Amino acid sequence: MSFLDVWYLIIGNPVLNVLIALSHLLSGSFGLAIIALTIIVRLISWPLTKRQLNSSKALQDMQPKIQELQKKYGKNQQKLQQEMMKLYKEAGVNPLGCLWPMLVQLPIWIALYQAIMRALATTPENLLDLAQRLYSWEIVNQAIPLSSKFLWLDLGQPDPYLILAIIVGGTMWVQQKMTQAPTVDPRQQSTQRMMTLMMPLMFGFLTLMFPSGLALYWAVSNIIGIITQYFVTGGWGYLKFRSPFQSTPEKGR
Amino acid sequence: MTQYLSYRMKQSKILLLVVIALLPLILVSCVPGGAQVAMGWSGTAVHDGIIYAGTLDGRVVAINSSTRNLEWSYSITPVTTPSSGLSCGQTLAPTAIYCTPVVDRDMVYIGTYSGQLLAFNMLARSQNLTFPQQRYGEWEWDCPIDNAKSNAIVADLLVSEDAIYVSSSNGRVYSLDKEFGDLNWESKVLDEKHRKLWTSPVIQGDILYVGTFDGHVYALSLETGELSDWAFESEAGFASSPVIDVDTIFLGSFDRYLYAVKIGSDVPMWKFPQEKPAGNWFWASPIVNEGTVYAGCLDGKFYAIEAKTEGKLWEFDAGNPIVSSPVLMDNLLIVTDESGIVYVFDLSAELEDEAVPLKTISVGADVRSPFCAQEGLVYIQGDDNQLYVVDIDMGEVSWKVNLTIEE
Repeated sequence: MSFLDVWYLIIGNPVLNVLIALSHLLSGSFGLAIIALTIIVRLISWPLTKRQLNSSKALQDMQPKIQELQKKYGKNQQKLQQEMMKLYKEAGVNPLGCLWPMLVQLPIWIALYQAIMRALATTPENLLDLAQRLYSWEIVNQAIPLSSKFLWLDLGQPDPYLILAIIVGGTMWVQQKMTQAPTVDPRQQSTQRMMTLMMPLMFGFLTLMFPSGLALYWAVSNIIGIITQYFVTGGWGYLKFRSPFQSTPEKGR
Repeated sequence: MTQYLSYRMKQSKILLLVVIALLPLILVSCVPGGAQVAMGWSGTAVHDGIIYAGTLDGRVVAINSSTRNLEWSYSITPVTTPSSGLSCGQTLAPTAIYCTPVVDRDMVYIGTYSGQLLAFNMLARSQNLTFPQQRYGEWEWDCPIDNAKSNAIVADLLVSEDAIYVSSSNGRVYSLDKEFGDLNWESKVLDEKHRKLWTSPVIQGDILYVGTFDGHVYALSLETGELSDWAFESEAGFASSPVIDVDTIFLGSFDRYLYAVKIGSDVPMWKFPQEKPAGNWFWASPIVNEGTVYAGCLDGKFYAIEAKTEGKLWEFDAGNPIVSSPVLMDNLLIVTDESGIVYVFDLSAELEDEAVPLKTISVGADVRSPFCAQEGLVYIQGDDNQLYVVDIDMGEVSWKVNLTIEE
């Protein structure tokens, strides 16, 4: 059994069939099925998300101490790093923890991308191929073939307008700003600014190139992330409604 | 130590950033299953010793079956396809052909995935004249996209005495004048949900019947294209083109049943299998002969069913999906499976419940296209763009020709 066979057996085909079954349950709407699947994925990954949010909350609570350290060791970067590492270790916080849920979602992205392309079967070959990947569930077979229409979108094609790209980029930026603790280190500031801007811009750009079904997943996932972040950490976190292009007040001190 | 830790931390952060930035690239580059390329699987037609086929490199070819030489070939204008994923711009690709060429007198008709219907004159093509030669009766017709995603012609054309009927991926059926390609009529959009008509219509009397992906069988006036009062509605969509025997329509469905629908009735006459659905879709159109329906299923099973009673006469398990419709040649029933095995059943012999084929011949390539049989020979186009001529008596591939023509 090849890696691909195992992949389809464990992840690819289950995601595809669940997506089609959801579509049948939701009045044949493939778009609603993607939204429902996103919610399910977020529920499954909730323990991981919760850990990340708690870590984020802990970072937020540590801010006075961090700022104190930054004031104290601002001129000695090596010492500052050392002290901050110590502080993180004592608090049991991993500053890179926020990236892991994203990585964990990678197989889901790939499976979803495949599922969207396969389920919508835009070519006769795709439709024939789909037949070999479906379970014998009645609910699945009654849903085929699917309609790719959802709101203004054709879920198998990129959004021809900028709407979804703005939503994906915007929600990703908000989510990132909510979790990223400000820093006084100019080098870290620049990395942080780059990350905060680069990721939303990149995903916004990708939205214009990938099937809008996948972008819909990104958008809904981000929105759910923002909501859970808001309720778990008790507010908007580090998000201050400033332009991302505007430098932080600490800069240049 | 601290410096080292700090260095490692920065390094891992950069690594993570790079990985995350590359994730979408991985999605398109390394993940199979995202491809949306239409390759085509045109069937073959034989007329007066000439074999006609649409090729995987976007040509229509005529091959002399005696000399095995190319009589003529016409290259359909390649299509520009938008690149998927991260690659920018457009790529030029051969036009996919799913239609089987239809030969009618001195003309050959074929539809393309790019939404064109081409009428070739054999004489004009053999002289390699510029297409279309109106004085030879050649014409081309572009199917309108009509607010749909596509105008692709996937289903086989239906040619009557004076008209051609085309199912389009824009959801409409069109009737064209056979001589000049003028539009006689266009139907309303029959499948608003999917906008795909990938199955051929069929004529009975002065009515045209067509099955849709949203589970309807519509009856259209042959003269005007208007819908008649009767339409059959099923919960699941129809996967195969319908066939008619007297007053009953037979067609396969996505719900893994084969339906028999009496024209005028709102409930199916029967659904096969009776007990539980088959292992997959009835994708290929069944054929009906002397009161028996022969139908292949994508689960690899092939069935002979009594048309009136739904009684199963016999079945055969090919083990591989049956994508192409079976073909009758005298008293021989020819069936192929996707792996390229040709099964020959002798219908004059008494076949057991678990039928055993008279002959089993492998062409050595996957087969998804429709095929034809004539005078003891079966003409099959493989997925490798080769034409295989199978001699039933000899029980082997008699000869084959590569349809990819080198410039």
